[in-house]
This record gives sequence, structure tokens and C-alpha cells, in this order.
Amino acid sequence: MKDFDSRWARLVAAARQTPAPADATAPYGFAVRVAARAWTDDRPTLQALFGRFALRALWVACLLMLASVAVDYFYLRGGSQDEYANESLYDPVSEVLTASS
Amino acid sequence: MADENFDLAACLQRVRARDQLAARDLVEHLYPLVIRIVRSHLPRRVAEEDLAQDIFLKMFTRLEQYKGAVAFTHWVSRIAVTTCIDQLRAQKRRPEFRWADLSEKEADVLDSVLTSEGEVAVNDSLAARELVYKLLGQLKPEDRLVLQLLDLEQHSVAEISARTGWNPSLVKVRAFRARAKLKKLFEELQRKERS
Repeated sequence: MKDFDSRWARLVAAARQTPAPADATAPYGFAVRVAARAWTDDRPTLQALFGRFALRALWVACLLMLASVAVDYFYLRGGSQDEYANESLYDPVSEVLTASS
Repeated sequence: MADENFDLAACLQRVRARDQLAARDLVEHLYPLVIRIVRSHLPRRVAEEDLAQDIFLKMFTRLEQYKGAVAFTHWVSRIAVTTCIDQLRAQKRRPEFRWADLSEKEADVLDSVLTSEGEVAVNDSLAARELVYKLLGQLKPEDRLVLQLLDLEQHSVAEISARTGWNPSLVKVRAFRARAKLKKLFEELQRKERS
């Protein structure tokens, strides 16, 4: 590491001798352009709003799907068959036929 | 800053009231600070003016979040630094650093650094700078930034901490890791030396 440190130090020392670019004033019209756009960009666009809510909506949809699968699974695995078997079905046609005979 | 008598607090108050003229004054006042950061971290193929504009627009958008906990210039510096890092992240780095990527002068400088103990000639300083940027370009943006500020620009750990928002221990750890990666790169280059 020591060997590397001295090499790196020599290289960086040489690089530091390059003068930094002097011109640091804003180009003509730059400040005007930026100031004009300063508060126009903070209004959310329709696309940005869609992007923001679409992902949340997707998560909610996934959660609902998982919940419904879980509930269905519970009914299918549980006593759902017995429930249907024991259920006495009301049959209005047979009621009418019985009454008329 | 360009103007010592610039009343930053008053200007900020006017900018918060959405005064366009004050916004222009603020941009002009902060431009040297922002452009210095942009130039020292400028990702390849990105125009410095576009990047500076992005930084100022972010500054205006987030101005309501500035509570005065740090100096305003430090707060703007952090926006500038994170914007540059984001830009660097968005670019793909070269998977491998090759001698063939270097200009003749840069290769000479690297050769002399790797093989001799002498100082690099003063008239090779521009090539040395380009070479340093190319080497730093092989690192992760955060690692590159910390070495650039520490070694190239010779800022103290405290200054880097203020400018980036990273705590001093994190700055030191990042610098250590970045140097270790750079050392590995040097070793690889030495192995492949002008093969």
C-alpha cells in the first residue's frame, strides 16, 4: 500500500498543477432561463402523477389478489363441501308441483 | 462567492415569495460555486450547463425544505454533489481500464509513475489530470468523489463532510476503500504494462 500511496501522491500532485478554468460567471441568459423555469417544474404533470400512483395501485391490487386467493383457499380446503351437501335447497318448481298434485 | 456584499438572507426571502428577479440574482450569485462542483465531477458526455441548470431547478423546488440547519451554500453544494453522483450512476462505467484507452502523453505519465520514483514533469500536468480523472472514473461515484475532494482538491475530512452530508467516519471509510480499489487497479495496470 505504501508503494501505491507514493505513486498516487505523485500523480495527484502533478494533476493539481493544472490551473482550474477561470471563467466562472454564468453565461448570458442562463440565470433568466433558470429563474423562468424555477417554479414551472414543481407542478406535477399528469404523467408524473400516473407514475406516482400506478405503482401504489399495483401493490394494492397484488395485496387484494393475495387476500382473495387466501380466502378462496380457506373455503376450498375447509368444510365448504359439507356446507354445500348439508344445505337444503329451496326449489320453487317442485314446491308448485307438489302443491298442485 | 462573486459578490461579498450580497445579502443572501434577504434574497432567499424574496425568492420564497417567488420573486423572479431575486431568483436570477441567486442563480448568478451561486453559479461559481455550482459550476466548480459540476466541473470537478462532470460525467462524460454531459454538458456542464445542463447539469448546472438541473441543480438550480432542484434547489428552487426544494427551497421550502431548507430550514437553515447548515449554511445555504453547503446545502446547495449537497444538492450539486448528489445530482452529479446520480448522473455518474446513470452512466455505464467501462468494465475494464486499458492502456489503449490512454493518450500517448497519459500513457507516458502512467508509465513514469509506475516505473520510476521521480516527480512527474510540470508540462505533463494536464495529462496527469486527465489520467487521474480516468482512473477515478473506474470507481463508484461516491468513492470517486471522496478521493477527488480529499486528494485532488485537498479538502479536509470536515469540509467534505459538510459538503456531502456524510459523517466524518464514513468519509474516512470511503477514502480507505477507494484507495484500496485504486491500488488494485494500479497493480493490474502494472501487470499488463504496455503489453
